[in-house]
Amino acid sequence: MTDTELRALCHGFLDAIERGDATTVAQIYAPDFRLWANVTGTEITADENLKILRDGAALHRRRTYDDRTINTFEHGFMVQYSVNVVTHSGKCTSLWACLIAQCKDGKIARIDEYLDSGKFGRSAS
Amino acid sequence: MTDGEIRELCNRFFDAYQDRRVDELAEIYAPDCVVWHNVFGGREMSGAENLAALPASYTMQRRRTYDDRTINTFDGGFVIQYTLHGVQHSGHRGALWICIVGSCRDGKITRIDEYMDSGKFPAWRGAKPDAAKETAS
Repeated sequence: MTDTELRALCHGFLDAIERGDATTVAQIYAPDFRLWANVTGTEITADENLKILRDGAALHRRRTYDDRTINTFEHGFMVQYSVNVVTHSGKCTSLWACLIAQCKDGKIARIDEYLDSGKFGRSAS
Repeated sequence: MTDGEIRELCNRFFDAYQDRRVDELAEIYAPDCVVWHNVFGGREMSGAENLAALPASYTMQRRRTYDDRTINTFDGGFVIQYTLHGVQHSGHRGALWICIVGSCRDGKITRIDEYMDSGKFPAWRGAKPDAAKETAS
């Protein structure tokens, strides 16, 4: 995949999550997709992640993935971003995260996500 | 910088950090180097501030090693995923999974963005979970 294709895939992925569009996210994931996060230390499948995305979308009024800084490398990309959340009570919070994605044939095969669970409490209410 | 040069710089940086060679780190940081973390309030510090804090930081553990290094390079930098293993003075062994994005120029590191989970700090230190604080020391 070219640099441009990888960047388009990255934006397509984050845009779909932002919209709560789990159908598009499912199409972006490769069949053998795995997601690992530093807050859990465990790998989950595409189906497990999609369930989390669907359940998580109801927790907040709006969630946007901003300040995207993308760099691509052979077979993947990394993106640094801010997750800005508006809770149902109107409170605005944010956290900084970084994810590294391995890509193949136009799809994401693996994501390693790094974020700070210490910020979760601030966005849960 | 080539892929090989960036990888070499990245490993040189982590080897120096692990071996507590602050003078070597000072050589690796560009004069205008900036260090930022997703914890500790998200404040940027200069390379000089970062280096000045290291000797005190190093006294907090008996040993730290930077293992399982997975490096990918891109135009002007690298992203490294690694496991930080620490042995506390109590003998407690802890680990943190961390990711660093490094920007490089002319053989030096100009910016470091470090991503970690402050929720793992108590376990890293061997403290009880309810003693959670946003400090890795």
